[in-house]
Amino acid sequence: MINVDRLIFEYPNLRALDEVSFYIPQGSITALVGPNGAGKTTLLRCMAALEQPVSGDIRINNIDVLEHPRECHRIIGYLSDFFGLYDRLTVRQCLHYVARAQGIAEEDCAAAIARVSKGLHITDRLDVLAGTLSRGLRQRVAIAQAIIHSPRVVLLDEPASGLDPEARHELAELFLELQQQGMTLLVSSHILAELEAYSTDMLVLREGKIIEQVTIKAHAHAQDFKLVLASPVENLATLLQQIDKIKLLKNEYNQTVLLQVQGDSLQQHELLKNLLAQNLPVCEFAKITSNLQDTYLETIRHRS
Amino acid sequence: MNLNPEFQRQLQLEFSQARLIGVPLILGVIFALTYIIDDYQFASVTTRSALGLFLLMVSFWGARQAVDSVLEEQRSHTWDTQRLSALNPWTMMIGKLLGSTLVVWYGGVICLIVYAISAPNANNFMWVCSYAITSGLLVQSVSLMLSLCALRKGQINGNSIIIGLAILAAFTIGSFIMPLSEDPQNTQNAVDVTWYGLNTTVQSLSLVSVFLALFWCVVGNYRLMAQELRIRTLPWVWLSFALFLIFYIGGFIPAEKFGDYFYTVAFSICLTLSYFAVFTEHHEPMRIKRLFTYVAAENWWRSAEELPLWCVTFVLAILVAIPLSFTHPADIEELHIYPLTILLLLLRDIGIFLFFNYGKNPQRAFSLTLLSLILLYGVFPSIFTAAKLKGMVVLFFPLISDSTILSIFCMSLQSALIWYLLYKRWLESV
Repeated sequence: MINVDRLIFEYPNLRALDEVSFYIPQGSITALVGPNGAGKTTLLRCMAALEQPVSGDIRINNIDVLEHPRECHRIIGYLSDFFGLYDRLTVRQCLHYVARAQGIAEEDCAAAIARVSKGLHITDRLDVLAGTLSRGLRQRVAIAQAIIHSPRVVLLDEPASGLDPEARHELAELFLELQQQGMTLLVSSHILAELEAYSTDMLVLREGKIIEQVTIKAHAHAQDFKLVLASPVENLATLLQQIDKIKLLKNEYNQTVLLQVQGDSLQQHELLKNLLAQNLPVCEFAKITSNLQDTYLETIRHRS
Repeated sequence: MNLNPEFQRQLQLEFSQARLIGVPLILGVIFALTYIIDDYQFASVTTRSALGLFLLMVSFWGARQAVDSVLEEQRSHTWDTQRLSALNPWTMMIGKLLGSTLVVWYGGVICLIVYAISAPNANNFMWVCSYAITSGLLVQSVSLMLSLCALRKGQINGNSIIIGLAILAAFTIGSFIMPLSEDPQNTQNAVDVTWYGLNTTVQSLSLVSVFLALFWCVVGNYRLMAQELRIRTLPWVWLSFALFLIFYIGGFIPAEKFGDYFYTVAFSICLTLSYFAVFTEHHEPMRIKRLFTYVAAENWWRSAEELPLWCVTFVLAILVAIPLSFTHPADIEELHIYPLTILLLLLRDIGIFLFFNYGKNPQRAFSLTLLSLILLYGVFPSIFTAAKLKGMVVLFFPLISDSTILSIFCMSLQSALIWYLLYKRWLESV
């Protein structure tokens, strides 16, 4: 869906993006992470055809963004870190303007406004001036503006900054909903906890370079599990290797092991039964959720 | 009804109920006062006030509205939303220009109605109206253009300068329209003027000229808006404007002297436009780097898109300088017209401006350049003239030299030095 190839962007005396290349598959939610000043906003602005790079290639849905920026604008939604709302207009007027400006016919505007305002829980605020809204609500209106034309790709720059935990949770749910609708999302943030809930992929940007692209939730059929026994078992590794659809990743003192388990929850249940049937003194059998923070820090450590 | 969305939004913002009632109310009070002053009738005071108020509103208030329609977007961080919209440059530009100023025209129309009622003679009403409306549109259009230029340069708080210029324009228009409105003889006994052998009146020609200026202003706004919306543009409009200006101003040269003066006029226009372009365009070092990258990749189309506008009129000036050199233009008192020396002078001045522009504080580039040019053109030559050191005067102002070779040498030296320093600074900034 998104293909960036050897993208270079320079500010005077500073190369903000240095031969950045990556690919983002359709329907994914990619977290764009990196420290402050890494080039996240510049990258998003280049992808939204708001900035002109020195060289490189950006393709979104096979549209050459640098050659045809206006065509690209029609299929993307962009949320800037400033939200970009008209404070003197009501929420309805803001949404109506963006809908019309994005080419939605006058007669279809009301339906489009109703759809996005329902999705973002702002239906009761439609006739309120945008300037009087709280930060959380402003952010929701801004997202509504960004997706009102049902773009195929949504680029979001620090969407959750300044939001309370409840609003962040709602935001995560919204992103998953947009993903289910077939949209591809690229979300930049330096707060990893907020990305954990919904990201499928992670791009790590540091000093203008992509240093890692990691898939976080791609293999739903293969899960990592931690197995802890009440006491060590001598031939634990041999026993486990005899069981189908599991792979031993790590063995600590024949008491704590890390396993990769193939299959769904029913098969996981069968595995546990199998372990107990072999008289193993199981006291813990738990799924290990991939931790974005750990992955990120590990990447940074590896590269530095 | 599928109304222009930008126009509709501007109306929602600017045409409030308070203004809808307030504007006629305030004007009503003012005209009630002039009615009393005019001895309970609509007479000369009301006429002058109506026209004066019209000019003040469409120029001062109109300019402010037009400027804010662009710069306010940047200040409110909504400009990116607009740039990402599917609106084309024309829709966006017209929406801003007409939408933001409609409330001004609402008041303006009231003034013109009062003027029509109170004017002692209706003979030249259409003339006055045509001048007033076209000039008002021109001032607003120029303001929009300057605000788009300011936006590109990042000078988003530059309202006061643009509005100051608009007030100046209002007074200029007023000084032309007021006598016309008071004395109908002004139109009847108008002075004749010849343009390419076509005899017409000053009034007619100036009205046509204002129309043409408005047309080019709208074209300029369209191009600037297109660039803001990331539509790739080649500099052919700037070239067309330069050629139009040469053609238009060339029409005022008397037929018998056309051959002698045409190239001088064309050359002067190219120089003026080059200065204008260099002072109004946004000069970022990275643009030149992109230009060099495209040239290196032999991507000529992209190279032309990145080419600064002053280069276009500078090349045109070189082309005009060739025939001009053969016509041996007459000296202006002690000044010799050496086309190549003048081109080098232009190159030096552009180099100075760009040198300051690529510095740490590009916002001051214009004032620093102005100061430098005052020193180079005025102070240094005056000091050396007072000291009777003509050789040194020639170094700074080579057009007074009797030797073409010497003047070219002096200017080449200066230009080479400035462009060397400019190159060094550019390298430091990319």
